[in-house]
Amino acid sequence: MEKLIEILEELNPDVDYNTVENLIDGRYLDSLKILSLIAEIEDEFDVEIPTVEIVPANFNSAKSMWALIERLKDDE
Amino acid sequence: MSYFNTGFAFFFVPLLAAVYNLIPRKTRPVLLLIFSLGFFFVISKFLIAFLFLSILSIYFIALKLNALDEKRDAILKTVEKGEKKEIKEKYKKYKRLFVALGIAINVSCLIAFKYLNFFGMNIYGLLNVFGADLKFKAFKFAAPIGISFYTLQALAYILDVYNGRVKADRNILKVALFLSFFPQIMEGPIVRYTDTAQALYSGEKIKYRDFCFGYQRVLYGFLKKFIIADRLNFLVNNVFDNYQSFSGTAISIGVIGYTVMLYMEFSGTMDVVIGIGEVFGIRIPENFRQPFFAKNISEFWTRWHISLGLWFKDFIFYPVSLSKVGKKITSSMRKKLGNQYGPLVGGSIALIAVWFLNGLWHGAGYTFLFYGLYQFFMILSGNLFEPLIKKICAKLHINRENIAYRVFQSVKMTLLVFVGELFFFAKTVPQGFGMLAKIFTSVKFSSAELLNLGMDKNDYLIVLIALIFVFAVGLLKEKNVNIREEISKKNIVVRWVIYYLLILSVVIFGAYGPGYLPVEPIYADF
Repeated sequence: MEKLIEILEELNPDVDYNTVENLIDGRYLDSLKILSLIAEIEDEFDVEIPTVEIVPANFNSAKSMWALIERLKDDE
Repeated sequence: MSYFNTGFAFFFVPLLAAVYNLIPRKTRPVLLLIFSLGFFFVISKFLIAFLFLSILSIYFIALKLNALDEKRDAILKTVEKGEKKEIKEKYKKYKRLFVALGIAINVSCLIAFKYLNFFGMNIYGLLNVFGADLKFKAFKFAAPIGISFYTLQALAYILDVYNGRVKADRNILKVALFLSFFPQIMEGPIVRYTDTAQALYSGEKIKYRDFCFGYQRVLYGFLKKFIIADRLNFLVNNVFDNYQSFSGTAISIGVIGYTVMLYMEFSGTMDVVIGIGEVFGIRIPENFRQPFFAKNISEFWTRWHISLGLWFKDFIFYPVSLSKVGKKITSSMRKKLGNQYGPLVGGSIALIAVWFLNGLWHGAGYTFLFYGLYQFFMILSGNLFEPLIKKICAKLHINRENIAYRVFQSVKMTLLVFVGELFFFAKTVPQGFGMLAKIFTSVKFSSAELLNLGMDKNDYLIVLIALIFVFAVGLLKEKNVNIREEISKKNIVVRWVIYYLLILSVVIFGAYGPGYLPVEPIYADF
């Protein structure tokens, strides 16, 4: 989780990722930032994020992203 | 036919609502379906065959996709771990085949009706360059109403089933009603199965509150269209048709007028559409969210025609940028250019695809393609310059969350939107450039000219006051104030005074009768 927050802070340092829960809906992360984020996550955690998973519910908070990563790891 | 037909909105829909409430719950969705198909038939007659074709194709293909999933899962349970991957791949291929068939059926209808002339003209033109002497004769036929909208909605359904987001529905009436629901059929919003299908088919009794809230929304749409859009229509067409004879200032007024008119007509239609949905207890997702409060063009497109933007994002942008090739480009470019600019390369390829198709979706013509590419360049340059602007602001100690800076951003963004809409409505791309050049080279101010464009002093004043009203409503919405909720808390006298004022203002200040040119439904033609 810490590593994930590190990645997020590199993308947009002006957000408190422990509390904000509308990263997508509040436009803290736009679609181009999502591309960077997905690349970073896939490299770092060795998972593959299918496009169907790219919905606001999975990316609105660091917590939900972490849940997604855990779930994808389990699937493999 | 338009949703702004008073007979439709204030007679047929309430009548339908009354009948809907009287009949047994199970039959209510059937009534909605019959009314929807009847509505389509009244406008497009026997072209309704294409709507049926679309419904049948997505219904059966979705079922087939689900059946393949079930078969695959059953087999997966019986085999060893090592074989699973191969089986998954095999079934993925089957599914792709069927989804491709669904796309082919629906897209080919769309192409046949909308793009045949455009492509034909270009192919003939190309052949003529190589010495052929061909004359192109354009086909003349009307397209089924709303084909651009329901085709995308149909595709979203089978793609969602393909991706496992939605389970295929066995009930064909439900699928048919989802695709043909009358308020949305002409101009969207393009909704997803999970948005409306359940509510559409539940047949719940109409609630008094939904009815009142719904009709408030309908009235607000009428206000936008009759008081503002219809008043501007003559002026806008006059300026665009005869721009050579006007000053740059007059052209600016025409261009601003067109953007305002388009916004009022389209978002007003959405108010009527969403309001009618609400009457029947259906929550149709919003298609506009105060677009002119956006900070930049990229954000503008998450607030204007939202459902189209989401469609392109889900089905073009991410699939392209996160395809195997897309990912390779992104990861290699990130190594070379870093995290800020690296993803921009792969992202841009996907964005070009999005905006090329977005332009083309609006219509077969070079002005639309140019408009799409213009949006792409604006979004791209916004991303390219962002780090630089950030640095400059930090150096000058400008707080970017400051209200003055936010207003500056919105004004800049709005000016860029005006230029885009200029090309959107211009007859040809050169005309667009001609008008743009004149705006900067022929700056003259003559009140006599402005009063001769098609609106008199009172018209300007009424448009201005109505726009201030719409702006105030937008500002409250932006601040998360639920206006209709607030109104409903007031006592009955205040409430009815508000309703009467709304109705009377449309009746008195609506621009109809001699001297005015009502706007035809703009998006119904796309």
